[in-house]
Amino acid sequence: MSAEKKMSRRDLLKLAAAGSTGLVMSGLPVRVIAQDMVTIKVQTAGLDDNTLQPVADIQMARNPNVNVEWVVLTGIDHEEVAAKILALVAAGESIDVGYAATEACQLFAGQGLAAPLDDRITSDPDQDFWTDFFSDVHPSLTEAMMYEGSLYEPPRDFNAANMYFNTNVLAENGFEVPGEEWTKDDFVEIARGTTKKDDSGNTEVFGYAWTNRLWGSWMPWIFVAGGNLYTEERAPGGEWVWDGYYEGDMAADGRGGGFRWRDPVANSSEVVEALELVVDLWQEGVTPDIAMGTGQTLTGFYATGLLCMTPAGGFWAGRLGNEGMAKGDFDVQYWPNWRNQKHQFGTGGHWLSTTSTAPDEAWDFMKIEVSHEGFQSSIFFNPVIITTPSRRSYSQKDAFESTGPANSDVFYGTLDDHPSTSPIPAPPWSNPMTTIFTTYTGFAMSGEMGPQQALDEMQAELESLTNREGRKYYQE
Amino acid sequence: MTSRETTAATGGGIFHWLMQDTMDGLRRRRAVLGYLFLLPTLLGIFIFTAGPVFVSFGLSLFQWNIFKPPDFVGLENFERLLEDRRVIIGLVNTVKFTVLAVCSQVSIGLILALAVHRINRVWLRYYFRTAFFLPLLMSGASVAVFMGYIFHKEFGPLNYYLTLLGIPQIPWLTSSDLVMISIAIISAWRNMGFTFLIFLGGLSNLSQEVLDAADVDGAQGLRRLWSVTIPLLSPQILFATVTGVIGALQVFDEPYIMTRGGPGNASRTLVMVMYEHAFKHIEFGYGSAIAIVVFLMILVMAIVQMWLWRNRVFYQ
Repeated sequence: MSAEKKMSRRDLLKLAAAGSTGLVMSGLPVRVIAQDMVTIKVQTAGLDDNTLQPVADIQMARNPNVNVEWVVLTGIDHEEVAAKILALVAAGESIDVGYAATEACQLFAGQGLAAPLDDRITSDPDQDFWTDFFSDVHPSLTEAMMYEGSLYEPPRDFNAANMYFNTNVLAENGFEVPGEEWTKDDFVEIARGTTKKDDSGNTEVFGYAWTNRLWGSWMPWIFVAGGNLYTEERAPGGEWVWDGYYEGDMAADGRGGGFRWRDPVANSSEVVEALELVVDLWQEGVTPDIAMGTGQTLTGFYATGLLCMTPAGGFWAGRLGNEGMAKGDFDVQYWPNWRNQKHQFGTGGHWLSTTSTAPDEAWDFMKIEVSHEGFQSSIFFNPVIITTPSRRSYSQKDAFESTGPANSDVFYGTLDDHPSTSPIPAPPWSNPMTTIFTTYTGFAMSGEMGPQQALDEMQAELESLTNREGRKYYQE
Repeated sequence: MTSRETTAATGGGIFHWLMQDTMDGLRRRRAVLGYLFLLPTLLGIFIFTAGPVFVSFGLSLFQWNIFKPPDFVGLENFERLLEDRRVIIGLVNTVKFTVLAVCSQVSIGLILALAVHRINRVWLRYYFRTAFFLPLLMSGASVAVFMGYIFHKEFGPLNYYLTLLGIPQIPWLTSSDLVMISIAIISAWRNMGFTFLIFLGGLSNLSQEVLDAADVDGAQGLRRLWSVTIPLLSPQILFATVTGVIGALQVFDEPYIMTRGGPGNASRTLVMVMYEHAFKHIEFGYGSAIAIVVFLMILVMAIVQMWLWRNRVFYQ
């Protein structure tokens, strides 16, 4: 390199200064535009930050000054996502729109983090939108998103605990998918009949499996045995939605302003019986050791023919297809009848933060998401169903045409045809409640405690928790 | 400081005092420059380490659920944790895990280092070094996820191969008696690469004169290992043990992801109890009180270890 071409330190500094000035100048127009932009932060518990992109695209096409930013928080289960949202809030971060299932919805509403939507809905000039929406959404889903008379989330999806069958395992053992009226005894017979053991007594194919969590788990057995973890009562209020949007809908009769779960009843004889049933099946080797986690843990084992039955909702339809199960390899049925056939469900949706700096734009996003356009473009429902749509018109047979199951009517039928169906116990303190529930379930399912002892201790802890937390919520 | 310097510092200003064209001025400038280089690190420690510790001390005296302003409760949180069965269980589990994990990662790391140190082929040595160190580069969460599958009682490959050998299925993660041992094995597998490298470095730097003298005295095999090599490695053993104990007392990832503290409370550790109270139960004050207990435990354990080893560590 010649001496003339060498750059002195002074030249370098000059060049750097000129470059920086140029960059600042070129950035100026961008800043001017940026000042007019409104950014809304949307939390998604989705698979990645593109999950809700189609919804954002619709909004940004309608209003180019809106920019949607994703806050992706994932977790093993809903309570973990809720915990991460709380950590975010504790760290001083704010979101405009958050996603929550029934249990966290109650917490965020109870603590004033989520804004009531009653006025936004009733004063919306586009009342046709809401009339259409509510006529398409079962009232029980709407009620589960209410707290003390107000609605906090328009439901986007739900999952009721139904029974999935591996039809190949059923057929190999001479069984068929049972009818709608099947009973707990039919279930036990199929579970035992499809369990295969090797010569040394190790189970090779399990008749039934579940994971230790709040939704799914052994909770459906508690419901059909006639029990619950907490007493279930209705809060007053909510007439604005029932009279205004559900008038004439028989399923809306007698509904209130959301649920109150006040007193723990975890050691009632019905709950003890339900736990005894699942413990017995585990001791017989019909059920594998129960681990923590979601149904995803079991998906692979189910798809490879190592399991016959497991509790799951519509969310499994698309996922089993992704695991390689062909249409017809699996089917679904209502939960079996025991003392009743009361089903449980959980529902999910987005809530509007009271700390939002752009509540109107955030509300627009929420509206688009639950609109027909939103449902038609949502990755959760297209091309396959990976969580059950809250809108009846998107949960029909054709939605499950490519994946199955054949009995897909069961999903929305759990709401439409079973009036007793109600949400999982989800008081605002459901996070610590879930810890207690899964802990004592673990004690019983590892044989460390008998069902009665485990539930007596669970009851004692729930009482202590409720005494500590319960008085902060629910108006008298 | 001389009177002339004092005058310079006060009358002539700090800048003049610093820029004096003397040897003292030069030393001062160097010192200031040194502190300036240290400043980012000191600020980082203060803001991201010491600061949160002080804030935790303060928070532990309050009841705070993030939605409402903190409520001063004095020592109530500490009184509560003395009666909290889950905290006691978490403490016992943590100690159990620490003993199992640290003993295994130090002893296995030492055995592997001794074996690899004897290998003459350089490429083979590199191969083993890399192989043993690799697990340490993986995140605890991902290790926990795939180990959860490997150790699964019914569907895991570990039990599959054991049953081929005629061994019955072992409930690694679902038995109260075994779960902590399983988690300690997994943790040791992941962390022994660190102790292995520390010991290998120590073995490479052992004084040849001392080893030759041991040879001359006829010390061979286990005698030489026990009386010469291990004492000479004592600084590395102390370091590996202290850092191992500090890490083990904070165990969270593996038990949380694989068992969520179960079955029952069998693998619930103290840090997990802290996390549950702070973030899941939104009791930040109580969570901070537990964090203080963890902090004090680590501090006390480190001091005790240094004190116990004070006469047993030989620095060459």
